Amino acid sequence: MVSQSDNLIQVKKKRLSQQYRDNITGYLFVIPALVYMLLLIGYPIIYNIIISFQDVSAFNLAQGSARPFIGLQNYKTIFANETMKIALWNTFYYTICCIVVQFTVGFLLALFFNQQFALAQSLRGFIVVSWIIPVTATALLFKYMLSPDVGVINIILQKLGIIKQPIGWLINEKTAIYGPIIANSWIGIPFNMILLSTGLAGIPNELYESASIDGASSFQRFWNITVPLLRPAMMSVLILGFMYTFKVFDLIFVMTGGGPVNATEVLATFSYRLSFRNYYFGQGAAVANVLFVILFCVALFYLGLINREESM
Amino acid sequence: MKGLNQRNKNIILNIVAIVIAIIFLFPLYWMIISSLKSDSEIFMRPPTWFPHKVFFNGYIDQLTGPYSILRSLKNSFIISISSMVISFCLAVPAAYGVSRFELPGKKLIILVFLVTQMLPISVLLTPMFLTFSNLKLLNTYIAPILAIGTITIPFTVIVLRPMFLTYPVSIEEAARIDGCNRFTAFLRVVMPVIKPGLITVCCFGFVYGWNDLVYSLTFNSNNALFPMTTAIYNLMNQYGTRWNWIMAYGCMLVTPPVIVFILGQRYIISGLVGGAVKE
Repeated sequence: MVSQSDNLIQVKKKRLSQQYRDNITGYLFVIPALVYMLLLIGYPIIYNIIISFQDVSAFNLAQGSARPFIGLQNYKTIFANETMKIALWNTFYYTICCIVVQFTVGFLLALFFNQQFALAQSLRGFIVVSWIIPVTATALLFKYMLSPDVGVINIILQKLGIIKQPIGWLINEKTAIYGPIIANSWIGIPFNMILLSTGLAGIPNELYESASIDGASSFQRFWNITVPLLRPAMMSVLILGFMYTFKVFDLIFVMTGGGPVNATEVLATFSYRLSFRNYYFGQGAAVANVLFVILFCVALFYLGLINREESM
Repeated sequence: MKGLNQRNKNIILNIVAIVIAIIFLFPLYWMIISSLKSDSEIFMRPPTWFPHKVFFNGYIDQLTGPYSILRSLKNSFIISISSMVISFCLAVPAAYGVSRFELPGKKLIILVFLVTQMLPISVLLTPMFLTFSNLKLLNTYIAPILAIGTITIPFTVIVLRPMFLTYPVSIEEAARIDGCNRFTAFLRVVMPVIKPGLITVCCFGFVYGWNDLVYSLTFNSNNALFPMTTAIYNLMNQYGTRWNWIMAYGCMLVTPPVIVFILGQRYIISGLVGGAVKE
């Protein structure tokens, strides 16, 4: 005879083993990708930290000899390097300029294309094409358009009477950083616009309608309905934009290679130069880690923000 | 009267929109017409807004000349299609796994995918280079293909997860009652339902692989393995100011992604939005 509690245990056991089997099936779906990520992202991140505390150069790599641990020496060396300070400054300056331009213009365009007219949808979709184009091609194209002798941007600016003499955008140390900023805006503005448009589309029309019945002006409607409701979308666009922009590499690498005289050197290009031009792998890894730590802090801030919004 | 105002407003809005689109598409126009100009016309001042005489030399030379583009074109296709297939096979099941199962540690797994998307390439380059060098993988197609997967796999998971969450579970349950197990149900029933999402991640998988410059540049020194991006970076100095040549190369470089964009615009935009919005 089977007692009732025994029966219950049986059922529970069966349920548990069902749950267990389900978990195994679930992990089977996830594990291949997870292993890939552990080997090709997790392991390199840890390895990069180790390298940054070692003396790794072309010399001891070629010798196959041990790489001595040298503590914080690589970090001391890079922070003593004048280029590191320039690269840090340039990275922040570039990022902030890009964000301000792409967010402001992107937001205005999102508002504009959010209106009801025939071509709104199709044209808005079209200008996102810059996002899909290889950054290498974008960099070359803007390098050409910004060149002092045949660059079409100088010619247009002269025709409009904004400048008198052609500017040697990428050649002049003072203006060089604006070259990649302009090129990046071409990619960043449509990107910001499309993300903010999605946010705008999610705001119910009735809100605006009832507000205008109550006599709210269009500015009041914008300030009291659009801005607060769009705030989550704006925050994630700004933070993601920061992260995408802060790790800039290809664009500057192809347009200026960090020059002239470090005028456009950013953390990513500096790290690359140390590792793969000078073969100071330890120092290159250290610079990459500085970049990583800054981005990691921003990512934590972002995740905290998401969590707070979800719990609200 | 009001209707007329509305119509005028509509016309003005459309015109402004066209002007904005022209400004944004101008760089592409400039790339195309510059690629068709002759050596003398490219240096003409003021510049010609349309080539007086169309020259295809920039293209013909690069298709048949000493630095034939065809080899790089083939390499670009090998690298981008392989990385697309790898990330598809690994990431689509993973996205399904983290959406449809109540796994212990699921939140952490999703977090890992979300955060790795934001990782700077610089952090991976040096350790990957040293590891691939030990494994004798430098100067192979495998090195860049594996490295590109680190971008496309997290992207695919993040984009597909919401799609797996939105379709009704009942479809899948019905299939299981009919005798499918979880794997066959996934392949035969779930995959067809999220086809738009799969198209999105394929477009992006291809484009990310196609657009990679730095992995091939760093891991391969043998230019027989260079994709188009790396090849043009290395030719840049040789061509100097022959911008018509460089722009012709650029046009050929952007054509495949632009075709993908035109054919799959809807999917691309949904991917852009899906990859960026919060979890």
